[in-house]
Amino acid sequence: MKTDKQELKVTFLAEAEIFAPGGFELGPGYENHVGGDDIFIKLNDKNDIVGLARLVHKYGGRVITITPYSVEGGNEVAYHMDVGGMIITATTFTDDKAVPAITTILKSGDWSEREMKDIFGIVAVGHPCSDERLILDESMAENVFEEYTSLSDAMAGAATSTLWEHINEQKEEDNG
Amino acid sequence: MGKSFKLPIGPVHIALEEPVYFKVHLEGETITGVDILSGFVHRGMEAMILRKNFLQSMIVTERTCSLCSNNHPFTYIMAMEKIAGTRISERAEYLRVFADEIKRAASHLFNISMQAHVIGFHSLMTQTMETREILQDLKETVWGNRMDLSANTIGGVKFDMDDDKIKYVRDSLNKLKKPVEEVINIFRHNRMVRLRTEGVGVISKEDALRVGIVGPTARGSGVNNDIRDIYPYAAYDRLNFDVILEDGCDVRARTLVRLGEVFQAIDLAEQCLRDLPEGPLTVGGLPRIPAGEAVARTEAPRGELFYYVKANGTDKPERVKWRVPTYMHWEALKIMMPGNKTADVALIFNSIDPCISCTER
Repeated sequence: MKTDKQELKVTFLAEAEIFAPGGFELGPGYENHVGGDDIFIKLNDKNDIVGLARLVHKYGGRVITITPYSVEGGNEVAYHMDVGGMIITATTFTDDKAVPAITTILKSGDWSEREMKDIFGIVAVGHPCSDERLILDESMAENVFEEYTSLSDAMAGAATSTLWEHINEQKEEDNG
Repeated sequence: MGKSFKLPIGPVHIALEEPVYFKVHLEGETITGVDILSGFVHRGMEAMILRKNFLQSMIVTERTCSLCSNNHPFTYIMAMEKIAGTRISERAEYLRVFADEIKRAASHLFNISMQAHVIGFHSLMTQTMETREILQDLKETVWGNRMDLSANTIGGVKFDMDDDKIKYVRDSLNKLKKPVEEVINIFRHNRMVRLRTEGVGVISKEDALRVGIVGPTARGSGVNNDIRDIYPYAAYDRLNFDVILEDGCDVRARTLVRLGEVFQAIDLAEQCLRDLPEGPLTVGGLPRIPAGEAVARTEAPRGELFYYVKANGTDKPERVKWRVPTYMHWEALKIMMPGNKTADVALIFNSIDPCISCTER
């Protein structure tokens, strides 16, 4: 017997083919685990995230959060959304640090889209307040995630060559 | 109409327990808008975690904040277990819920006590905190720590309950019931408390759904998004409980949800101990984490806590992202605050049960 969520999954995926005309690849889920009906999809066209957001809105869903990360040649952005207790993770690829904003359709995506700009320098084009910083103030550069060095790395001299230059100079002096 | 001006509150202020900066727009004493600037305790935890292996990362997540410290590793671990295809024992599932519900009761009592503090009812604040001490002692006895329990591990739990401990916990929970009832009675019926909290910080059900708020804050506006109910994990699908909803949409409604959930947490903890199945605590050894991605979420004391983990087959995660409940509540403050008085700023802020350390990671 199909559960409500299984039926919802089938219906949602059928409609997603219309709302995301560029097509998508359906990823594997995890059977026999909590959230066995969760959906993982990879959109072929990043602009289709707008259509998918409209579909989520139609179902009364919301944005849970957005996860950007670096991949070869650009960034992937994973949008996590809730529809009827089912989690949809839709991933897109961008090679120009820009994705279309969905906050105008799903208000719940507001802060996540602004954080994406702060931490990864990825702009949500069309965001109603895209100039406002969220996590960081203007004294810090965008895309700080890429520049992060942990304190332990820095203390071990891994962040710069200064420490090793100093040690080598000392060695040369000692060797006279 | 009074004079228009802006009132800065924070980043460090006596009414705030953690640093955040509010620029409150006022017409006389009435709030017309609020700007929020955060980031004062951003620690770069999501970047830090990518430099650690999966087990070290689990320990880092528990340090995100102390009040919901149990939910962070719990949720992170569930995502890891999904990628690894690991099924934990039923006993471990019940023990995970037991630890979580004890933390929930203690966290809610802390928030309620802070509300009493903000409205100037200091005897009620001390009474609530004193009641909470029973739970703090319980945590220290069972897990050896009052805040960070370190109860979970990948593949199970790190603690067990024998007959002596179960008896001690039952006695402690019984001892807790009467003082909690007294506190609830004051919050429900005291005229001053009602006058200060009724009709203050209103957010309608429609707005709650639109901005995506979660937890008791949303349930105070009649929105059922209790993850234990809509996305049951661990042993919640085998336990009896009803989601507590209020429709007042104000500070009082959110308080009543939390008060109800203190008793609910006690009941769920008792159910866990009553029905605790036999079985191993862990699957034994750490599973290999293959390449893959997974999402997991739990109902933390403040609401939905979400984790996304992407693994690439090495011993370190490729990406871990977490979104805490308070993160969704900032935008809601812009709806809750306008129309209220300056004196209500700290009260409304407290009513979302804010956790800034969690939010900024």
